[in-house]
Amino acid sequence: MALLDVRNLQVAYGDPSSDDRTMAVDDVSFTVDKGETLGIVGESGCGKSTVARALMAYCRTGGTIVGGEVLFDGRDILHFKDEQIRGLRGSRIAMVPQDPLTSLTYHMKVGPQVDEILRIHQELDAKAARLYTVKLFEGTNLPAPEKIYDRYPHENSGGQRQRVVIAGALACEPDLLILDEPTTALDTTTEMQVLKLVKELRDRLGTALVYITHDLTLTDYMCENILVMRAGKIVERGKASSIFSAPQSDYGKMLVSAIPRVDADIAETSPPANQSTEAPLLTVDRLSFRYRQRWSVGALFNPKKEPLVADDVSFDIRRGQTLGLVGESGSGKSTIANVIAGLLAPTSGTVTFDGDAIGMIDKHRSAELRRRIQIIFQDPLSSLNPRRRIETILTRPQEIFFGIRGSVARDRAVELLEDVELSADLLKRFPRQLSGGQQQRVAIARAFAAKPDLILCDEITSALDVSVQAHVLNVLKGIQSKTGAACLFISHDLGVVKQVADETVVLMKGKVVESGATVTVFEKPSHDYTRLLLAAASRREDYADVSNSVETAGPQ
Amino acid sequence: MLVNDKSLFSILTHSPGTAIGVALVSLHLLNAIFAPLLIPYGPTQLVGTPILPPGHPDFLLGTDVIGRDYVSRLMMGGRTSITVAMIGVLGAVLIGTFFAVSTAYIGGLYDDVVMRIVDTKLSIPGILFVALFVVGFGRSATVLTVVIGLSYFPGAVRTIRAQTLTQVPLAYVKAARLRGESALSIIFRELTPNVIEVVVVEFAIRTSSAILIVSALSFLGLGIAPPTPDWGLMVSEGVGQIYAAPWLILLPAFFISTLVVGLNFASDGLANALGLDAARGLHGG
Repeated sequence: MALLDVRNLQVAYGDPSSDDRTMAVDDVSFTVDKGETLGIVGESGCGKSTVARALMAYCRTGGTIVGGEVLFDGRDILHFKDEQIRGLRGSRIAMVPQDPLTSLTYHMKVGPQVDEILRIHQELDAKAARLYTVKLFEGTNLPAPEKIYDRYPHENSGGQRQRVVIAGALACEPDLLILDEPTTALDTTTEMQVLKLVKELRDRLGTALVYITHDLTLTDYMCENILVMRAGKIVERGKASSIFSAPQSDYGKMLVSAIPRVDADIAETSPPANQSTEAPLLTVDRLSFRYRQRWSVGALFNPKKEPLVADDVSFDIRRGQTLGLVGESGSGKSTIANVIAGLLAPTSGTVTFDGDAIGMIDKHRSAELRRRIQIIFQDPLSSLNPRRRIETILTRPQEIFFGIRGSVARDRAVELLEDVELSADLLKRFPRQLSGGQQQRVAIARAFAAKPDLILCDEITSALDVSVQAHVLNVLKGIQSKTGAACLFISHDLGVVKQVADETVVLMKGKVVESGATVTVFEKPSHDYTRLLLAAASRREDYADVSNSVETAGPQ
Repeated sequence: MLVNDKSLFSILTHSPGTAIGVALVSLHLLNAIFAPLLIPYGPTQLVGTPILPPGHPDFLLGTDVIGRDYVSRLMMGGRTSITVAMIGVLGAVLIGTFFAVSTAYIGGLYDDVVMRIVDTKLSIPGILFVALFVVGFGRSATVLTVVIGLSYFPGAVRTIRAQTLTQVPLAYVKAARLRGESALSIIFRELTPNVIEVVVVEFAIRTSSAILIVSALSFLGLGIAPPTPDWGLMVSEGVGQIYAAPWLILLPAFFISTLVVGLNFASDGLANALGLDAARGLHGG
């Protein structure tokens, strides 16, 4: 008998009796055996997290489980009484949610939060619970578990927090562990550490895992069996390896092909080297940046130096070229983009654009200079004013930079929309009425409305699903080659950078550790950190060895 | 479009409480507007024997302590305080919005100075501030309106500024900055439209509190001056007869409370419908 047997599960949002309810999960059935790992893959909104919650007989507000059975150990938990369910949750079925910062309580130290689980389910006394918690922390490879025990959540890094949550989830040695996008909020290298840990723990404890993710490559690494979900339904199921190498359904094929792969061949060769004799469009020379301490009376008496966010960074971008800037969060990538855009003034070093020094912030820049450098931000929704129609969003830059308004500006807005493969119908819409991919394409259109020479792309696809990401990147490439604009492409995703960049710069803690032609950086990385990123990105098993050598070496 | 693609009607009938609140407020506003056409006697005219009980054939709700028709006075009694409260609060919220959005956007020393002034005002007990102001400048509707405006200005700045602070770091503001929009353009065109929900709710909530304050002042003899009919004033005039003729107090109290309760229900419902949980619990602030 399977440990978990889900039969025809149906979850609806909205009034379950009315017609306008939406089926978030529709007729989903699967089983999970003891010690098995099942991956559930799908894009945002496909209902995978709703399934995860239903496995604990829980629904988000507004949702109702309207049909089906969730048999755990042969008994349908959907018909359990509240106290029976409470007995299961946390002890026999545990869950690791996506964001470790919000799943831990801010005001409590992390140790006692795990103690609580042990004291409720195992009825341990305070002392025993503490000892056991420290042991659990050891088991999840947390450094100095005794010290971590007495830390507050914010005093730990994202990876440490997620390990605390995992320790809590494993506290009662559950039979079933549900991981709902446990590493989405983490860096690639941290992600790999956490996943390796989960794998080890699974093998040691024999826990069954339901692993939910939008990242198909991760399921390949983690799971034996995979379900692919779309719009609440299962569209494909099978062995992980077979789905990854030969997907059957159209949707599965599309998902697999949309994944930017670090091990893929570089299709287009970089522009010929003779261009390097031409003066670069943008030169960043020995750029450093540190935030100034926030003004306060206390700061006058106790001045502190904030750490350098960018440290001695140099690179060039030639006309029409795309430069990839890679690094983990906190490596200073966005800061560099903000300095070039004029949102921040550099602490030292120079930025030269087309022969002129531009180390000043936006209000000291000429309108012409502001026009020539455009930035596209990470979160497409927040970068478009929610109260402006797409028409206004696309005509306003034309009015400011070229003095074009009225029907001329409107016609050009339609052209811009066509360039990003959107229809003119969208002009009257508000940003919220568009999908994430459409929003980001509008943001691209807005940037190109200024006819820029340099475009700064700050993680523009990290908020998007894989298939949407592929489309947005194509649109960007298309409009870029049409206009001949150069591009600084910032991303933590090496696969994406490999796809778009002619040259790549790798940043680690604010310093450039490696730079050169994308082919060279990816094929023959010279720095250990680059190798680590590449190993993490390709989910290679030798990742751990590389990781150890980098931790000892540090940035050079 | 006000907000969230919801029609005004669906917002105003969001829940039974909201609908009741909106109905009460509408009735009061209609009454205040049309009362002069409807009342049987002039509200300041002496028309009958003092303290006639309700149910008298000529005077539906009786007469007051000096023989004026109570129905006429009750119907007219909200006009002044509602006007004073609404104009005062409207001024506070409009000027407050400008300061709130600009401090949140500009920050730095300007923000510090404005906010410390706001803190200073917030540290003075409300009723004391109002009382001192009225004693100093005299009792008139204009003085009351100004003092209400001054009283509610700091709270409005705080609430709206807090909401604006959630918007300022968003990329659309950076995008506006980078295309060279002026600070004023960013304040009015980019930020203000995105905090308008809070401004509306702020206005509704503060108005109900302002009506209470005006009534309390009138009761204490610091508000609207006799013989103008006013509920707070009527309660105070009736206090002497509290045992003999309790309706003299209960009737105006009923009018005040239905209006204030209605406003609170309506503004709570409005806040909920607009998804502003943070705006709740502001009453009396």
